[in-house]
Amino acid sequence: MIYSDIALDAILVAVLIDLFLLKTEMLTRGIFWISYALILPFQLLTNWWLTSRNIVMYSAADIIGRRVAGAPMEDLLFGFSMILMTLALWDYFKKFTSR
Amino acid sequence: MAHLRYVAVLLFIALCGLGVNLFFKVQITRLWRAFLLTDICIVASYLLWDYWAIVKGNWYFDQQQILTIHLLPKVPLEEILFFIIVPFTTIITFQTLLKLTGWEKSRK
Repeated sequence: MIYSDIALDAILVAVLIDLFLLKTEMLTRGIFWISYALILPFQLLTNWWLTSRNIVMYSAADIIGRRVAGAPMEDLLFGFSMILMTLALWDYFKKFTSR
Repeated sequence: MAHLRYVAVLLFIALCGLGVNLFFKVQITRLWRAFLLTDICIVASYLLWDYWAIVKGNWYFDQQQILTIHLLPKVPLEEILFFIIVPFTTIITFQTLLKLTGWEKSRK
């Protein structure tokens, strides 16, 4: 599997965990989308820094080839899935540890 | 100095998170247990993906611009720090918004 496939799967897994496994329902909450909107510009900035200086490089055969702020667009899928997964787990464990 | 380029990005992300935490008095340290549990899950899943992708050659690093410290074979130390620092700053962002907006008071 190439990066594009795995990144899409990562989104699917994060969505399933958020909505059905932990039932944190981040995707339905305004606070999640505002958090994402604040983090996204910083992701683009750091992505640009890491890729424009060739600190991180990608195998051309494993990406679709469309780039956003220097990085493969797959990075945005990866970023979204990790932010969703992080906040879903956080919301769950915050309640879990305060019991 | 070139070796510090990747770790400098991580330091920037960490300082953003720490700065916001202190400035808005989010007191994230009170919730360290929840952070630990969250990050164990993130590292266990996303670092494993990262390791696999590096081994397969999906992405690779300029050896001149990383610290070249490897706790895991082939995986630069920076990648491990990434999966601690980025979730940390993500959570600070979320907690700060909860505090500033006062939304979801009933949910907590």
